[in-house]
Amino acid sequence: MELDEFRAGVDDWLAQNRDELAPGHRGAGSLDEQVAQLAKVKRLAFDAGWMRWGWPERVGGLGGSTLPRAYLGEALTAADLVEPGIYSMTEVLAPTMIGYAAPELAAAMVPRLLRGDETWCQGFSEPGTGSNLAALSCRAVRVDRAWRVSGQKVWTSLAQYAQRCVLLVRTGAPDSAHRGITALFADMDSPGITVRPIETVHGAPEFCEVFFDDVAVPLDRTLGEEGQGWSVAMDLLPFERSTALWHRGAHLQHRLGQLLERAPAGSLDPVALGETVQLLATLRARSRATQHRMAAGERLGPETSIDKVLLATAEQALFDLAEGALAEEVLLGDDVTSARWRSEFLYSRAATIYGGTAEIQRNIIARRLLDLGDDR
Amino acid sequence: MDATERDLFADAVRRATDAHVDDARALDGALEELGWHDALAADPRLAVPVLFESLGASNATSSALDAALRAGLGLADERGVVAVLPPLGGAAAPGTVTDTESVGGDTVSVRGIATRSPEDDTAALVVAATTDGNVAATVEANRLSFRRVEGMDPRLGLATVAGTLPASLPRAALAPGAWASAVDLVRLALGHELVGAAGAMLELARDHALERVQFDRPIGAFQAVRHRLADTLVAVEGARALLDAAWEDGSSATIAMAKATAARAARVSARHCQQVLAGMGFTTEHRLHRYVRRVLVLDELFGSARALTRGLGDDLLAGGPLPAPIPL
Repeated sequence: MELDEFRAGVDDWLAQNRDELAPGHRGAGSLDEQVAQLAKVKRLAFDAGWMRWGWPERVGGLGGSTLPRAYLGEALTAADLVEPGIYSMTEVLAPTMIGYAAPELAAAMVPRLLRGDETWCQGFSEPGTGSNLAALSCRAVRVDRAWRVSGQKVWTSLAQYAQRCVLLVRTGAPDSAHRGITALFADMDSPGITVRPIETVHGAPEFCEVFFDDVAVPLDRTLGEEGQGWSVAMDLLPFERSTALWHRGAHLQHRLGQLLERAPAGSLDPVALGETVQLLATLRARSRATQHRMAAGERLGPETSIDKVLLATAEQALFDLAEGALAEEVLLGDDVTSARWRSEFLYSRAATIYGGTAEIQRNIIARRLLDLGDDR
Repeated sequence: MDATERDLFADAVRRATDAHVDDARALDGALEELGWHDALAADPRLAVPVLFESLGASNATSSALDAALRAGLGLADERGVVAVLPPLGGAAAPGTVTDTESVGGDTVSVRGIATRSPEDDTAALVVAATTDGNVAATVEANRLSFRRVEGMDPRLGLATVAGTLPASLPRAALAPGAWASAVDLVRLALGHELVGAAGAMLELARDHALERVQFDRPIGAFQAVRHRLADTLVAVEGARALLDAAWEDGSSATIAMAKATAARAARVSARHCQQVLAGMGFTTEHRLHRYVRRVLVLDELFGSARALTRGLGDDLLAGGPLPAPIPL
């Protein structure tokens, strides 16, 4: 389907089904409410077909260009129907399954994610492994026809809701670095998994600690080959910086409009405002080019780190502006609208941390794009 | 042109700007031979980025900005006519009709700058704002006072222009929006020249970071240096993407944002690259200073980043609409 046709169709569908799609909660809603709303919207969008365009037919999609995926998320985000961060997890996890899972496994599982039947999480970071992902130590050993996994993950978004987990484990020697890592697809109801949500600064228990105590994961749940986990991770990370960022940029644009409506007279500095608008336009222009490269079948790589730096810069600029202009609400307000500005301001501080810190992105840019060689 | 022809054209243009860095007249001749002016008329989206990125990257000068202005105004291409550009900082038409009835009729007051002093040019193009819209007049160049300036960037060869012309001189009415279209096209051209220069500074600094050894390793191994260069690349690539989107979208609002963003990227690049090049870059034996000088002046032509950014904020606070988001 052509993008114009898709856009018109989605816009029309959103207008026709406004009431059914609308969230039951006011303001941002609790995390429970956001997750339930997400599942509802995905189910409706899948049944109407919109959620299926741009995904391969072998995993329940309708095929075609990936651009419709970018537009659908933009439209849902701009209409405040979904929280963009949790919506975009599909854009990160489904391509990994399509690229690395056995075909039957991908065919069985991916439709559940697209349709909103299931929530998946991504078990990468560990207490001792933040930026230095290759040092992870959560261990898996082969026993008969299964992996036995023991260790701990942390900062695992939505693990408390998840039915499945894309999990990185150490299968090589402890010092095997990026060579000895394998990716698995684990069922979160497996015996031996304990999930503990973490209360975060911005007020939603979005992240969890996940403990694995001799958890069995069948061998056919290996993503790619044994020892190929680093490639799986390196292919996954650009997806965090492509369509997901397009959606987030659309959300920020939407919030900028709301800030302009809400800010009291004299509270916005024109220079800071003008610059924020330009930063958001720059992010959108860059991310647009990335969407088109992806749609043309180009393999995304380290150049998406530029998109991420632009996103983090624009997001923090926007919420710095909002915190200053709406100080009364952000600092003293206890109503749902104020709580949302406060929560998003606080969450924006993480834009330079999650998905590879600002420092890691710059390291990638220096080494891979500027070819400055090793940094030690 | 197909993709191969476009690449060949771009390579030829870049060779010309490299070959004639300090000779604008020779470069004009080379561009003429390459058919750049025909390309400008046929496909500005091809011709403008190719030439102006090269001008910025080579630190070359030419009369191409005048050609872009004429093309934007919808005027036929005419060599040997120097265009009067708006004074530094703004983008208003350089001529204004002044009511001086008391001394015998209206006059056109002209104040602006030009890409060169009219040594070979016998005529000057002046666009003036009147109460009935903008008009264009081509006058003998010696009726205006051109003064060549050295200033921050002597190699650029700019001149200031001032004078008073009788309102009765022959002039042609411009179509509504013609001046705005010309401003758009010139801003795109300047944006590309700025990112070309910003990218060239980054290349100089990157090469230096790999060659210069301190504490027994190339300074490019130090994270503080690497991150400055990474930030520069982010700024340059972001500006490039916004310029590209501005061509796609074509709105004056996006073009103004793209020009401001390109100028900011060039200033980011100048700041970081000058720091990385340190003592070496602080001598005139190194090329860096030429680019630093150039981008400071280019930023101020047709609206500086500072002025455009404040203007955008002021418009929004006065109730103006947000620029329409660039469509996917």
